[in-house]
Formats: sequence, C-alpha cells, structure tokens
Amino acid sequence: MLSADILMELRNAVGAEGLIVERNQLQTYECDGLAALRSVPAAVVLPRTTAQLQAVIGVCARHHIPFVGRGAGTGLSGGALPDDRGIVISFARMTKILATDIPNQRITVEAGVINAHVTQRVTPMGHFYAPDPSSQTVCTIGGNVAENSGGAHCLKYGFTTNHVLALEVVLPTGELVHLGSPTLDAPGYDLAGVFVGSEGTLGAASSMTLRIVRRPETVQVLLAAFDSISAAGHAVSDIIAASILPAAMEIMDRLAIQAAEAAVHPHYPECEALLLVEVDGPAAEVDLHMKQVRELCQANGAWEDRLAESEQERMLVWKGRKAAFAAAGRLSPDYIVQDGVIPRTKLPLVLEQVAEMAAATGLRVCNVFHAGDGNLHPLVLYDRSIPGQEEVAIDLSMRILHLCVDHGGSITGEHGVGREKQQALGYMYSEPDLDTMQRVRCSFDPENISNPDKVFPRPRLCGEKTGKYSPHPLETAGVAEFF
Amino acid sequence: MLDMSGALAAIVGPEYVRGLGGAVAVAPGNTEEIAAVLRLAQENHLAVVECGGGTKQGWGYPVAPALVLEMHRLSTLREHTWQDMTCTVEAGCTWAAMQSGLAQHGQFVAVDPLWPDRATVGGIVATNDSGALRQRYGGLRDLIIGMTIVLADGTIAHTGGKVVKNVAGYDLHKLMIGAFGTLGVVTSVNFRLHSIPRFMQSFTVSAKSVEPVGRVMLAMLHAQLSTVAIQLRGGVDGFDLDIQLASLPEVLATQAGALEMLAQSEGLRLRAAADEVWNARQGQLSADVVCKGTMLPSEIARFAARVRGLSGESVTQAGGIMIAGFPAAAAGQLPQLRRELEEASGSWMVLKQPAETKLDCWGTLPDSLPLMREIKRRFDPERILNPGRFLGGI
Repeated sequence: MLSADILMELRNAVGAEGLIVERNQLQTYECDGLAALRSVPAAVVLPRTTAQLQAVIGVCARHHIPFVGRGAGTGLSGGALPDDRGIVISFARMTKILATDIPNQRITVEAGVINAHVTQRVTPMGHFYAPDPSSQTVCTIGGNVAENSGGAHCLKYGFTTNHVLALEVVLPTGELVHLGSPTLDAPGYDLAGVFVGSEGTLGAASSMTLRIVRRPETVQVLLAAFDSISAAGHAVSDIIAASILPAAMEIMDRLAIQAAEAAVHPHYPECEALLLVEVDGPAAEVDLHMKQVRELCQANGAWEDRLAESEQERMLVWKGRKAAFAAAGRLSPDYIVQDGVIPRTKLPLVLEQVAEMAAATGLRVCNVFHAGDGNLHPLVLYDRSIPGQEEVAIDLSMRILHLCVDHGGSITGEHGVGREKQQALGYMYSEPDLDTMQRVRCSFDPENISNPDKVFPRPRLCGEKTGKYSPHPLETAGVAEFF
Repeated sequence: MLDMSGALAAIVGPEYVRGLGGAVAVAPGNTEEIAAVLRLAQENHLAVVECGGGTKQGWGYPVAPALVLEMHRLSTLREHTWQDMTCTVEAGCTWAAMQSGLAQHGQFVAVDPLWPDRATVGGIVATNDSGALRQRYGGLRDLIIGMTIVLADGTIAHTGGKVVKNVAGYDLHKLMIGAFGTLGVVTSVNFRLHSIPRFMQSFTVSAKSVEPVGRVMLAMLHAQLSTVAIQLRGGVDGFDLDIQLASLPEVLATQAGALEMLAQSEGLRLRAAADEVWNARQGQLSADVVCKGTMLPSEIARFAARVRGLSGESVTQAGGIMIAGFPAAAAGQLPQLRRELEEASGSWMVLKQPAETKLDCWGTLPDSLPLMREIKRRFDPERILNPGRFLGGI
C-alpha cells in the first residue's frame, strides 16, 4: 500500500486520469505473457510525456518505491511482473512517432509505439523496421528495447540492439539522460548497448531513435519436408556453409506442424520435420540463392520442396509458424514454452537428448525453432490436473535449459530472463560474472528500485519455480500470436 | 619500498619483466597472470597502460604509466568452430594473424581495421575501430558475442557466450568496446563470423566538386545493390566515391550496370577500382592533426567539403565515420568544425595532434557523463587503468 501523500504526489505527476488505484483495475496489470506468475501492483501510472515520466520516477526515487515499465505486457519471462509494493508505469499513452528521416534511414518514436506501426509508417517510402517478434502487432518498442527482442528475421537483420541508435532514458534516480547518438560511434561508453536488453533494471526509456532498413527487392519462401529433424538440421548447416545468409530459417517438428495446421491451415506438408527458408535481396541474387537452397535440401533428403507462390501464401506460411505456440493448446491442456540457444551444429545431438529426457518423464515435447541461429523453443506439454505433472514439466523445462548451457549455449535467445529464469542465469554465469553485471546495475540504480528482483538469481531462494505457459488474454482473443 | 620488478617476476617469470623508460613493462602469459598483475597494481596504486601492437597508443589524452601491460603473449586463435561460424581469439593476436587462421575455412571477422598486420584484437576493440565493411556487416558491437575481461581488482569475468543469439544478462562486452581500456583488460573475444565473399568488385566515381558524388552516394545507400563497402574520399584533386559489391558473378554484372546508370545520371563516369583504395584511410593518419568525425549520411558531402576547405583530406566510411588529416596550421579552425558537427548530431574526436596544439580530444561532454564516471568508479575505484585517457577525465 502506498500512503495518501505518495498517491497525491503521483497524481500531481500524471494527473488524476493517469493514476489507477482501484483494485479491479489494477488486476489488469498483474501479469504479462507469463500468466502463471501474478502480483497486483499498488498503483499504475500512465504518463503522457517524458516530463511526466520523469516526475513519476522522481517520486519513486524519493520514497524508495519499486517500479516496472510496461508496454503491451506480451513478454514471456515475467519481466513486467509487478512488485506488490510498487507501481507499474504503463507506456500506453506515449505512442507518438516523433520524427522520420528517410534519407538517413532513421525514425524516432516514443516507448509506447507498437512495433508494427513503425514499419507501417515507413512502408510507403520502401522501408521497414527489421526486428519482428511474433507479437509485433501489439508489442511496443519500449518493451522490445527492454528485452532486446528478436524474431524470425534476426538471422539476417540482427536483434533490437543492432537497430537502436539512441535512447532518451529516465534513470532510477529521476535524472534524464541521452544514451547513444543518432550517428555511429559517439564518444564515451556504449551505454545504449548495455541498456538494450537490461529488462527494465537500469531505468525507463521514454523515446528512442531506430534504424530502418530498405525493403528488399524480392522475397522467396521455401517449404521443404524431411523425414527427420536431423536431416533438416544438416540442410541448414549446408546452406550456411554455402555462404548463403537467408532472412530466416525455421524448423517445426511433426507435433508443431499438426498444431499449426489445426489452428490456421497453412497447408504445410505432413512430415517429421518442416524447414522454412526465406531468402530476400536483389531479385537476380535471390533466384540463384534459392536454386542452391533447393539443391541442398534435396541433397539432404527433402522429399518435397515448394515455393510459396504468392504474397498471400507467404503470409499464410508465416502465420502458421507464428501461431505454433498458441496452437500447442490444441495438443495439450497445459504447456511450458522455453527459449534455449545452442551452437547450430549441436542441434541433432541436443534434440536427441531432449527426446530422451522427455521420454524418461513420460511427457511430450514439441519443437519449434529458429534453426539458423540455434534458438530452440521446446514446448513441454502436460496436464495440470494430473497430480505432480506440473512439477515434472517445470523440472524438465529447466533441465533442457541446463542442457543448452552444457553444450555452450544460452538460457534465453529472445524471451529474457525476467522472473522465470533467474536461477538458470546462475547456472550459466559464475559469481564473478554476475558480480560484474551488478556493478553496472548499481551504477544506474543504486537504490535497487528499477524492476528489482528480476534477472539476477536471488540466493535466498533455493529452488526456482518457472511458470507454466498459459495464453495471454490478447492471444486467446486472437489479437497476437507468440513465439 | 616495494620491489615492483621482483613482485611482477614472481607472477610472470623474470624473463617477461623489463624496464621501459620510467615504467616497468610486464608480459603476462594468460588471463590469471593478468589478474594477479592487476591486483598488485591496484594495491600499489600503479597506473597501468595496456598495450597490443601500439598502433593507436597516441589516441586520447596521454597517460604516464607505471606499468605497461604487454599483451603479445596472448596471441592464439583458440577456437574456430567454423561450422557454427564463431571463434574465440586472445586479445594480443594481431588482426591479420586471426584472419589468416579463419580464412582456412573461408571465413572472417567482417571488420577491416587500420594496420591489420600490427594492430591487435584487444586494441581494435578498445578503440572501436572499424572500416568500410561496416556498411554491410555492422561494427564490433554487432559482431562480438562474448568476452573474457579482467577488472582492476583482478576479478575475471565472462560476458556473453559463444552463440550469436543470447539475451541472458547484460551485454557487458558492449561496454568494453571503445572504452579505451579504462574499465578492464580484455583478454579474449568471441566473434560471430561471416563467409568471405567469393566474388567482389570495386568501383570508383570521381568529380572535382563534392555535390554530384554525394548525391550518387546517397542514391547507392538506398539502391537494391549487394553493397559490402562504401567510402567517400576527399583530397587535393577532388572527391572519389568507392563502392564494393559482393554477389554471384551473374548478379555483379547486372549491378555494375545499375551503378553505371546512377553515375551517369550525375554526368559522372564509373570505373573499376584497385583494391588499394580500401586502405586509403591509413594515408590520413600520417598528417599533423588526425581526427575522427561522426555524422549522418546526408551530412557527409557537406563535411567532406568543409575539411577540404581547411586544406585537410578525409575518408568517410560506412555511412558516416570520417577519418580526416590536417596540416598543423588548420588546428585553430577545428573547434568551429566540431561545433558544426555537434549541431548536426555528430561528434569530432582529435586522435593525434602536435604537443603544442592542445586541442580538446573528445568534444562536448554528454549528459550521461556522471553515469559513465560512476561505472568507472565501480569497475576501477583506484583509477589504475589508463587514468585520464578517456573523456571527462575518466
């Protein structure tokens, strides 16, 4: 509970219409896309301007109130989970596109601008904003910056961090600073580079300058059907070894194909492993590269390979892929979605081990992954109504992450650590590594009020409880689909 | 008084400790020895300068070291998992040695820095050098996926990892890039690799005045071409735009035609360029005063002309990173040029100048400077690592 005086200060900062304290309204903010973890905040504020945001964080700094920023609440690791003693800062009212500079391929937006709206704004001028998380029709740039969001096309185009040039940030002390620069290589430490992906623990960004990219002349998508994941994996390695860098390379296993087919009917071939390869660029180059890609798929035993013929068919192919998580609900009443990364060549080995681990527990694991960069999204299927099965599923999903680390990989490729994987971060990094990160954290946030109790392992907790995945309200409503 | 040489010899062996002017030079053989040397330095408040090939030691404000940490014994390309297109290389390895190792599998770190034969990975990272290839592949911050670093108190920390896609924890390695060694000593770096393009072609478009060349450059940045490198050179004879394409041979022929049309639309002629044009930047570094400017792409032509007007020469690469050389007589004009650049969202760093010139190296300090100082304080509280070399006295 916040005192009446503090609430008055917050009201002065954002106006009466920008402050929410009613319990039933606060419940809207109790979770993000990881809906298993819930906590009702003491208040929600909705600033309209940077000045209001600064005033709000000033109140938090003076009274030592924890805060967490929130865009659309689509995050999958509990990063926007509120602290019940703290406030949520919603960016729903900071949605202006501030400046568009096509000659220099830059755009400046407020943190609450929706990812897809950036691309929409620059499409008439032949450009797009490259990072494309599957929730891009609803998720905000501010949230993308916090999580360093990826997407299927980051294989070629890079992640959010490669596209953020400059940030206006309110520090947890209430000071306003500018990190990075619209030009490359501004003198000083690369604070923008550290801020992106810091999951809200270093302050709150109010606006950012992004790089936009020229739309490619041609795009082609290939669907190739294989008899095993391992064969599809080898095709991926061969494509990379042939010096081809596709825009995206995705693999789905039989279970994932069935789920996607049932959900959106993308007309995928029925097979053990489906490989989607998108190649883009100058038309003549795309034709030649795609010819090579098809040859390599056939050499690895693809028994069907066809190009999506039209723009419409291409959209449908991607819709099926992006719907895979939500569609898993058709296979099982409950499931956990994970986000491990492994070196690409370990793919067949790790998947075999995952299958063995799953078989030992009696649970099914469905696999969807960004094969080009070794980012696995295993979906552990289970039924909560069977006593003990949820614990088994959680344990299995954590052991899969540990397996990724054991093979030289990472516990998260794009979903973030958040609340969900704090303990796993301690498995991936040693104490001195984490201590060094803490030095940065303490430089930005000496009072530990900016999204506290996230990312870093908490020694006082011995075990880690991960959340089961349940569809976000936006997802069940069909507004968004998640990776 | 402490027998510094003796204490260092106990860590690295006597053959790797020597006097160097008024300082002691020490050449550790591994990360653990570096940690022990730094602990010793911190306990004794000794200013430490890290040194690789020594090619850029003059950049930033000068430091009078008590200890010179020589990195040449950490020179191994430790791992090249070519199937995964990643590598781990020690910081004292020269850029060229690393690239020749990677080339055995047709791969490279897609950066073309200054003096690759002598400059080391660590020094290139510390100064955030890049080159014309940045147009296609991005800079070091886009290609480094992990690091091992040693902090001033001897803490050995690993950051990032060996996979390209990884959002676990903070990207500490980005903090080390361009930090001029003021936050820690980088001992090894993990890179994301690319395939060396098999078919490349370079072209040049030249003109007496900058305007038509500048317009062709902007058009090229927006064209559907397989561009890997681009640079604008400004010198006594006028302005030259170099562009390098990489694709399949059939495609290159078509794109060369498209380039020709672009040039002709400004009444200019496209001609094949020699590979040496891509080393042109190194020529500027012998001037009396050398500066690095950053600017938006649309400002490149204007500032290239400004530099020429001050009797300087410049090479601007990758959409807005300029290296410019001037005669000493032009130094007085440079603060005004810096103001103009800063007003246009750019920056102007003085890399090299005669001792008597005394130009400010770094320019207007950013509003995030207090934050940078706080990070420095927590990483290096005794200020032993390159003290005073960086902006704002860091």
